[in-house]
Parts: sequence; C-alpha cells; structure tokens
Amino acid sequence: MTFGNPWMLLGALGALIPLLVHLFDRRRPRPHPFGPLAFVMRSQKRTASRLKLKRLLLYALRTLILLAIPIALARPELTRDAAAAQVVKGPAATAIILDASLSMRWSDGTPLFERARDEARDALKDLLPEEPATVLVCTQSPAAPPPPGFDRGRLRSLVDEAKATHGAADLSRCLDLAARALEENPMPAKRLVLVSDMTATAFRLEAPPPTVKGPTGAPVKPEVVLRDAAEGHEVLNNRAIVDLKVEPALQAGPRTFQFTFTVRNFGAEPVKDLEAAVRVGESTLAKGFVDLPPGGTTQKALTVRFPQGGTVLGQVTLAPDALVEDDRRSFVLPVPRALKALVVNGSPHATRYRDEAFFVDAALTAPGSPVEVATRDAEVGLREDFSAYDLVLLLNVPAPSADEAQKLAAFVESGGGLFISMGDRVSPEAYNQRLGPVLPRPLRLVRTSAERDDPDADTKSARLAQVSVEHVLFSPFTGQAEEGLVGARFYKYMLLEADSPGAAGASQVLATYEDGAPAVAVARKGKGRVALLTSTVDRDWSDFSIRTSFLPLMQRFAAYLTGSLDEREEVRVRVGESATLRPEGARKVSSVRAPDGSEVAVKEQPEGALVAGPVTEPGVYSVLGADGKVQSDLSFAAVLEPSESDLGRVPMDTLTAYFGEETVKASTGDADKPTVPLWTWLILAACLAFFFEGTLLRK
Amino acid sequence: MLLDAQTLARLQGVKLRARAVMEGVLSGLHKSPHQGQSVEFAEHKEYAPGDELRHLDWKAYGKFDKYYVKRFEHETNLRAVMVVDASASMGYRSGALSKLDVATTLAGALCYLLVRQQDAAGLALMAGGKWKDVPPRASAGHLNVLLDTLEHTTPTGATDLGSAADHLAEVLPRRSSVIVLSDLLDENQDALRRILALRQRKNDVSVFHLVDPAELTFPFDDPTLFIDMEGQGRVEVNPREIKESYLEEFNGFLASVKAACAEADVDYDLVRTDDKLDDVLLRYLSRRGRRR
Repeated sequence: MTFGNPWMLLGALGALIPLLVHLFDRRRPRPHPFGPLAFVMRSQKRTASRLKLKRLLLYALRTLILLAIPIALARPELTRDAAAAQVVKGPAATAIILDASLSMRWSDGTPLFERARDEARDALKDLLPEEPATVLVCTQSPAAPPPPGFDRGRLRSLVDEAKATHGAADLSRCLDLAARALEENPMPAKRLVLVSDMTATAFRLEAPPPTVKGPTGAPVKPEVVLRDAAEGHEVLNNRAIVDLKVEPALQAGPRTFQFTFTVRNFGAEPVKDLEAAVRVGESTLAKGFVDLPPGGTTQKALTVRFPQGGTVLGQVTLAPDALVEDDRRSFVLPVPRALKALVVNGSPHATRYRDEAFFVDAALTAPGSPVEVATRDAEVGLREDFSAYDLVLLLNVPAPSADEAQKLAAFVESGGGLFISMGDRVSPEAYNQRLGPVLPRPLRLVRTSAERDDPDADTKSARLAQVSVEHVLFSPFTGQAEEGLVGARFYKYMLLEADSPGAAGASQVLATYEDGAPAVAVARKGKGRVALLTSTVDRDWSDFSIRTSFLPLMQRFAAYLTGSLDEREEVRVRVGESATLRPEGARKVSSVRAPDGSEVAVKEQPEGALVAGPVTEPGVYSVLGADGKVQSDLSFAAVLEPSESDLGRVPMDTLTAYFGEETVKASTGDADKPTVPLWTWLILAACLAFFFEGTLLRK
Repeated sequence: MLLDAQTLARLQGVKLRARAVMEGVLSGLHKSPHQGQSVEFAEHKEYAPGDELRHLDWKAYGKFDKYYVKRFEHETNLRAVMVVDASASMGYRSGALSKLDVATTLAGALCYLLVRQQDAAGLALMAGGKWKDVPPRASAGHLNVLLDTLEHTTPTGATDLGSAADHLAEVLPRRSSVIVLSDLLDENQDALRRILALRQRKNDVSVFHLVDPAELTFPFDDPTLFIDMEGQGRVEVNPREIKESYLEEFNGFLASVKAACAEADVDYDLVRTDDKLDDVLLRYLSRRGRRR
C-alpha cells in the first residue's frame, strides 16, 4: 500500500481521543437528592447491558471516524505486486490479440471465432482517436505484429480476413509478441486486448505475465482487457478422437485390419451411444457405439477387411458435436495386395516334412497370408512364365540353364522378387556363372560347422550373431522375438564372395553367423529385389525351419521382395508440422496437395528426402508424381494436436490474478467501469460511522 | 381568582398560604354530609391533648387508671383528619414549592374550610417515623393549633404509610374523613393497600398524590449523582440514557396507584407541585359534591 500524503497519517493519532477521554475524564457528576431513586435504580439496572453495548459501539464508531478521515486524506492506494510498477493511466497504445486456434471453431450455432471477430471489431471501435493500435491474429506460428498505428481500416480488414486455424495457439507467446510491438510506440500507457475463448491449453500460466518497458525503462504491466468470446458458456462440451492405431488382424483373414481409436469426452456431461465409424469415401466399412463418462476416455476397436490391396485413404469418425474438426481422423493405409508366389522345389521328397518346400509352403499359406503359392519341381518350375507371379522362390534348385537364368534376370529387372536358398543341389560355380547378375553376392563354397549326427552338434553348429533389426525385414525381431532367430542352429551354410566395391546394385548383408559369414543378403536388381539365404529352408543344413521365427520371416521375405511390405517410414504429421517424404529410387514428386486442393510448399533435402509443409489442416495430403498422377503410397494423413480438443476454460478469476488485478480492466466487453480509489471508501465508512453514531446518540 | 405556585411561594408560612387558598375557594360549596347531633355513646378513645375534657370518662379512669374519652355517634357534622406525609422525600422541590409545602398548604386550607363550617378538623403528621396527632375539633381556636402544627413541620425520615394506616385505624372513629397528602414513595409494597383499607372501616378516604414536575418529566441532562433522600442509596447515571426507562417505570407506578384507589373506591387526585392549589381544592370539592 502506498500513500499520496503520508504525513496526513499523523492525524490517525486522533483515534486515541475516545480512549483518552474515557481514561482521563474525571468530571464529577452533579449530586442531586431525588425522591423516587428506586425508579432510577431500576431503570439503570434494566438498561445496563444495552447501555454497555451502546457505549462500546459509540467508542468503535468514534474511533473509526477519527481513524478513517486522516487515512483517507493520506490518499492510500493498493498495489498488489510490489515488484511491478504502477499501471500508467491515460490514452494507451493498444494491441488486439485475436485467438485463431482450433478451439475457436467450436460452435453452438455461431462459431466462437465469429463472436471473437465481433469482439475485436468492438475493441477497435472503443479506441480513442488518439490511441494507436495493432492487431495480432494468434495462430500456431504467429508473426510479430506491426507497430501500433492509426490506420483503423487496415486493422479492421485484418480482423475481417482472419480465419480460425486447425492448430493450437500459444496465447502467452502472442501476448509477448504484442507487448514487444507496443514497446515500439512512445506513448507511456500500453494496453493488451485479448479476444479468446480462454481455453486453458492456450495459456502458459507458469510463465510470467507480459510486461512492457515503462517510461523509466523498468518493466511495467500493461493494462489487460479480457474479452471472452465464449461468455455465457461455463463449459465447452467436446469429444474427440485423440488417438488411432491401425494394426493387421491376421487371425481374421488377409487384408483385415483392426482400427483402435481412443475417444475422449472433454465435457462435463456423459455421452451415450456415440457413433464411431470407419469410412472410405462415402461408404461406411464398420460402425460401433461408445459410452463416455464426463472427462472420461474409452477405446473402440473396429475390424475392417479390405476387399483388395493397395493404399486406402479413409477416415474414422464420431457423430459430430460442436467442434466437428476433431470428430474425424484421416488415415492412409497400405493394404497388402494378393501375391502369387512360384515355389521351385529343388529337392522334392515323398515324405512331406522332408520335402524342401514343405516348410516354406506352410509358412506362406498360413491363415491371414495374402500369398497364393504354386509349387513346382525344378524342371517344370523353371519353365514357367514368371510374369504370372510376383515372387519366385528357388529352394535348393540346381543352377538353371542360361535361358532360364536370363528369364529370371528379366523377371527381377521388371520388378519381380526372387528368393534363393541353398542346399546340396546348389553348385556355387554354376550359380555364379548362370545367375551371377542376379545374385546379391557370388557364392564361394559350403562351410560345415557341425555334422548333424555329431553329438556336439548343438555346440558346434553356427548361430546367427548379428541381425539388422533396423531393416524392415527383421524389424519385428526384437526383444523376445529375437530368441527365435538367434536360437536356430546352422550346420552348413554357403560362404559368399565379398561384394565388389562400387558395383551397381550393391548387396546388403542383413544377418551374419558367429564367424561373420553372411546368413541373409539382399540386393535390388532393376525394379526387383533378390534375397539370398545361405542355408536351407528344410532341416538338411539347419533347424531354422522349425523355429518360431521361420514363419513370420518367410512372410516378410515375401512381402519385402514384392515391395508390398511397407518399407517407407510411416509419415506421422500433426497440423502445424512438416511431413518428410522419402520417394524410393528415381521417383519424382511434382507437388503435394492439401485436402482442400491447395498446393503445399515442398522443399528438397540434400539426401533426396522432401519436406512438405507445414501442413495447416487435418486430412489426407496427396502426393503427385512427375507424371501428375497421385502416388498413393506416398500420401499421408495430417492429424490434429489432441490437446487442442481440451476446451477446459481458465476461470476469469485465475486470469485476473495472473495478469494482476490492478491491470485487468474489463472481462467481457462491457463498458469500462470507473475505478474507485481506496480513500473514497474510507470517507464513505467515516460518513456511515458518523450517521450511526448520531442515530445511537439519539436513542 | 386562582393562585399559582409562584404566588403562593411568596406568601411566607402555611397560615397565609392556606388562607389565600381557602379564600380562593370560599364560595362555600362544602356542606356537612351529616345533619344534627347525637348523644348516643359510640366508643371509648384514649385521651389525647385537645380532646374535650368534659368527655373524659371518669369511671373508666377509675377502672383502668387511664384517661379515656367517650365518643358519640354524629358527635360532629364532619370529622376529618389530614394525614400529612412529612418524610424527607416530601422535601424535594424543583420549582417554587416542595411537595411538603403543597401538602401543608392544602391541609391548612382544608382545615380552614372545615372549621369555618363547624366541622371538626384534625391532623396526623408523619415525620421521621414518629406521629404527631392533633385530634379533630370544630372550635375556632383549634384552627390555630392545626395551622401552627403544620407551620412547624419539616421533612425528615422515611415514608411509612403502612404504620400510618395502622395508627389511624387505631385512633380514628368510624365514618371519619381521612385525607392523605403524600408522595406515596414507600418502599413497602403493602403500604398503599393498608391505607386504602381504611375505606373498609367506613371511612371516607381521599388521596392527594403529590408529585414534583421533575419526577414526572425527568428533565436532567448531565451525568448526575442521584442521592436517596430517605436512605443511603446513591447512583451515578447519565439521565439521558435512562430517561425513557425511568418514565416508563414512574408512569407505571402512577397508573398502579390510581388503579388501586379506584378499586378501593378512594378519591384520588394527582397534584403537581406547580398546580394551582385553589383549583386543586375546587376540583376536590366538586368531586365531593358529586359523590354525595
């Protein structure tokens, strides 16, 4: 508390007068003989307690009068924050901050943003002619506003053209930016007008409130005017999809996926039978209902089987509420297409489990697998028309003839997948000679780590030592799943020649044995891919085929070699962020289009990646190739920041306390109320005390 | 011509004041309520100075060795006794006359009237707990005795109306007229009832209730130490603070006295010490006339 005339406080000593009078008043009462003394005594007895209270009240009132008047004359003023300088009064340079975050799209018939724009227009209208102003539309990445000026028309058109975004807004940062802009104006008084729905996620209340440089250079709290665009709504009810997981549901068949989406009720009322659906285009593929308690979260899983492979662009949706933007979430889902695989069995056997192709056939045709297998012996299989297949598997096949090898090479070059496994029928020299251009690396010789009938075979046999789990082929084999790989024993395996440095289509070794010899090598050949397993896929050279990892690895070989395994990184992008695209090979990207058809800025990165964005709205973004056609596999979905769906509001009291009660002027756009200095209250108190004192005396 | 209190106060002594008052009402309205004389013996009464010696019962003296006077029915036209309260509280005055001044003046004037029309007038003075009786007689010389007694009365002691009642019951013959002049400020709650009980003995009882204007209006402002005039009590109060309560109490007292008198068929008159006394007497005589 500060005092304008502190010396006036000496007058407060006058408050001691009633006490001194009480203590030192020694006036002797006039003696008066009186006949009816009994009546006097009875009257005094009757009124004693009332008189005592009356005297006490009189004493208090007189003390109050004598105390209030000198304190009022001292002109006291309350300052809550001693560190902050006082607010400078008078005409003020004004910055209007218009919240354009996603939450402002909330609508009960009239969107909050429309109301906010009206409030901003009113704020402009309320300015005095001598008050310069600026406007900052607060988005996810706000730009510093221009210094305050007097071009009201430009500011009004800025407000008129403003649109609510789909991103979060950091109002604390926007207030700071506006405060910096105000500092550029020499007018001593500054004012920030915040037009917002006052959602809690938009404020960082742990940060200090905005200040501007005062006339002395010391930080001064600017006057803050809060205009609540959601006035009258204690709670902004909203529910939203806050998360979505799409996983293959192999047990339900090929191309079946489970959509698990997390729904949250940010409102104060329970929600029953809320419709949740998976849609592609206009058709609804699956639908369910969820119940949500107030403030609660629930998960809903819907299973969808897609009739065919390819990239699916769709949405999961909720029944729309007041904020429809977060009631839907787009997805881009690569659905594996049906694959045709030709298994060329180099060592057929009448006993099924001794057959070279038995385990491979079982793995590729397991439930949920999209692979359709045709098994042939070497003689027939190599004469097949490979173009009818997506994948050819050579299992312990003697080296094909030159024509057959040429067919195979052409098949791979044109985009086919080739898997080669070793065995007793594989001749390294013949393979190198006939299939040299196709092999990831030339074969050298067979190495035997242990004989199968050796009692110490368990210890002598080779095991996988290093597996490139970062590669898409082995990426699932981490943790406990890795045990299935490293537990396999390899009695024999083919050693490979070293890769010739600088050779085109260099190979990649994805797994090695303990001695460092390659176990799995892959290479790109033209548009196709080749994978080489240096041991057998039956139990002749290893027991890998009976290990738990065999089935999933073979399925991944099939998917990888046919290009249907999602090798690219899943593009996860939120509104306001940029998407990084990695087109494979020589594919070119001409442009990226937003859901509304507008073009998104694309920047090329040195390593060949492309950065598109920042994206401004949720939905599916289409990537167009050099030919102008949509590259579905590169398309990506942008999603909303889930926290922006939380429309919990900051109580006005909290905001007032945050900005400082002495600085917050108005809260709802009402006419400014004149401030009442403290001394007027004191004078009022003294007058009331005087009145009551007189009333008591008359009684 | 009616005499106000200030004028009366300038007249020194009860004789002058009583005479002045009496002359004011000398229209002679009073008539004796009883006609003729009787010699029928009624009762004995112990001798007191002033009694007719010729009525001494010598036979009784012979038997009891005490003087008794014979009383006869309708011995006089009217036998009236003025009971004057001369307690200390009667000495209170806020104006020209104290309550005792008014009481003695009224009593003197009444004595004049009675003796003038051949009625017997007597006195019973109560002061300092002692009684001073002057038996009723109708002779002209008796008037001087009555007025002298009133003249020399000074206020002292506590009010004791109860014992006054007992005394009168003992010494007064039946059908006497008893005129009580008092402020009735007796701490004994039963006193008034005992005074009024005289009416039951076929006496004609009248009460002049004397009050000072200050007692009626409590006009004090400054803090005051009130001192009891008949005892040791004292109390320091701010009169303004208790005025309302005091007036409520005192008016309640007046109302209760008036009600008690009415119930006992006793003539009651509230007399302020600033009232015109001839007016008071005229009022009284007028009421008397109506009663007859």
